[in-house]
Amino acid sequence: MDLNQLRKVAAEVVSRDDVKYLIGWRRGTFGYRVAPYFVEDAAGVDELIFSPLCISNLATYLTLVEKLPVPRGQEPDKRKVALLVKGCDSRAVAQLLVEKGVKREEIVVVGLPCPGMIDRDLLAEKYPETDKAAELRWNGEDFLLVGEGEDIVIPRAEVLAEKCRLCRHPNPVLSDITVGEPVKPWAAADDSGVAEIEAKGAAERWDYWEEQFSKCVRCYSCKSACPLCYCEDCILDRLDPIWVNRAVNFSENTAFHLARAFHLAGRCVECGECERVCPAGIPLGKLNRKLAQTVREEYGFEPGLDPEAEPFQASYKPDDPEEFIL
Amino acid sequence: MSEQFKPNIVAFLCNWCTYAGADLAGTSRIQYPANVKIIRVMCSGRVNPLYVVNALQQGADGVLISGCHPGDCHYMEGNFYARRRLKLLKELLEFTGVDPRRFNMSWVSASEGHKWKEVVEKAVEDAIAAGPFDQFRRRQIGW
Ligand code: SF4
Ligand code: SF4
Ligand code: SF4
Repeated sequence: MDLNQLRKVAAEVVSRDDVKYLIGWRRGTFGYRVAPYFVEDAAGVDELIFSPLCISNLATYLTLVEKLPVPRGQEPDKRKVALLVKGCDSRAVAQLLVEKGVKREEIVVVGLPCPGMIDRDLLAEKYPETDKAAELRWNGEDFLLVGEGEDIVIPRAEVLAEKCRLCRHPNPVLSDITVGEPVKPWAAADDSGVAEIEAKGAAERWDYWEEQFSKCVRCYSCKSACPLCYCEDCILDRLDPIWVNRAVNFSENTAFHLARAFHLAGRCVECGECERVCPAGIPLGKLNRKLAQTVREEYGFEPGLDPEAEPFQASYKPDDPEEFIL
Repeated sequence: MSEQFKPNIVAFLCNWCTYAGADLAGTSRIQYPANVKIIRVMCSGRVNPLYVVNALQQGADGVLISGCHPGDCHYMEGNFYARRRLKLLKELLEFTGVDPRRFNMSWVSASEGHKWKEVVEKAVEDAIAAGPFDQFRRRQIGW
């Protein structure tokens, strides 16, 4: 990835009169970590980076901005928000467009073909004590840790994030400007973890999920980090009527997880943010992928590919499967 | 077990077809198991998946959802949406280890009193086979 080219494009974009700011990544405050970065003017673009640690999905910020009421006599700020997207992030944007969560004219999408991201937990586990290093780069197929002492080549298979191993769309599905050459999609691994669970008996599956769901502390990070969990009045936060009690116990946790997974069925773009941010290490991705697989295999639909598509759960086909109905 | 397990089944029936069908079963004096607790909703498309989750949390051993046959919906297309959503719910419940026999869905029209009887018999049989469902019960908050 040529950072100079990225910064040049970013500078052009933020200088436009109709652009409010650009959302990207910059170095964090410690070692190789990265943080989201809001660039407001061309002078700020020098800090922009795109590295194998830019795993977070910036599309989440599109729906997080607070929409303050416009004082009488003033015009609302109609300027666009620009953001950098990887393949999976662009799918989240496409799905937001499908749902009219954001409008096309409100955003400028800068697409970055993505060679694959690093799972920082795996990195810390396999290469302990390296987190003070300044930078991580792509190095052909592999990754390169640059910093203290000698550079270290890190084999791709060791630290590649799970969602990237399974990724089928590394190139942005939609963008106004693309920076860099498209990458060649790699053969997605087929160990999504779904078949492994399906192979167990019902009681065993229940035990597995009981163990997982019991760990949940109901911090709702999974909901907050998800680009597609943006209802202003979330059914899981409501007190009246109360759908899911706030008590943290296995029964309520299970209800919470069933509801969360269900609400994302046919919408989840498998960006992996929910699982990444979960402090309890619950494999939420497996739940999401199970439903995504059902939607793909039984209905031939994949969310986040076509911004003009019909929302899956708000549409139907007369010949949808119904073999389960008496 | 000396006494046979009597399952608790919550049934969500659409006002226009299955509820009327169940009514017909009653007026025609068709005998069917008394384990179903019927909740009338205006359309099977009104059945929020959380109704099902809530019913299971509050002690139901099985859930039955029934509406008009495809094409007969009073609101034209409500049951088509229900079909999609509840299929996903069924898959999700199964994946998390809920016995698939606890979840049944059917199309029963207003004139199918006999079919209603068969559907209830099947749902009860299934729930008995699956056994009592206590693991998911909502915990009482004890102060
Ligand atoms: S992020 Fe993890 S612990 Fe927090 S609510 Fe979600 S699943 Fe539970
Ligand atoms: S549910 Fe998780 S994987 Fe799916 S879109 Fe939301 S954050 Fe991404
Ligand atoms: S969990 Fe459901 S209701 Fe809550 S924000 Fe996500 S989609 Fe909306």
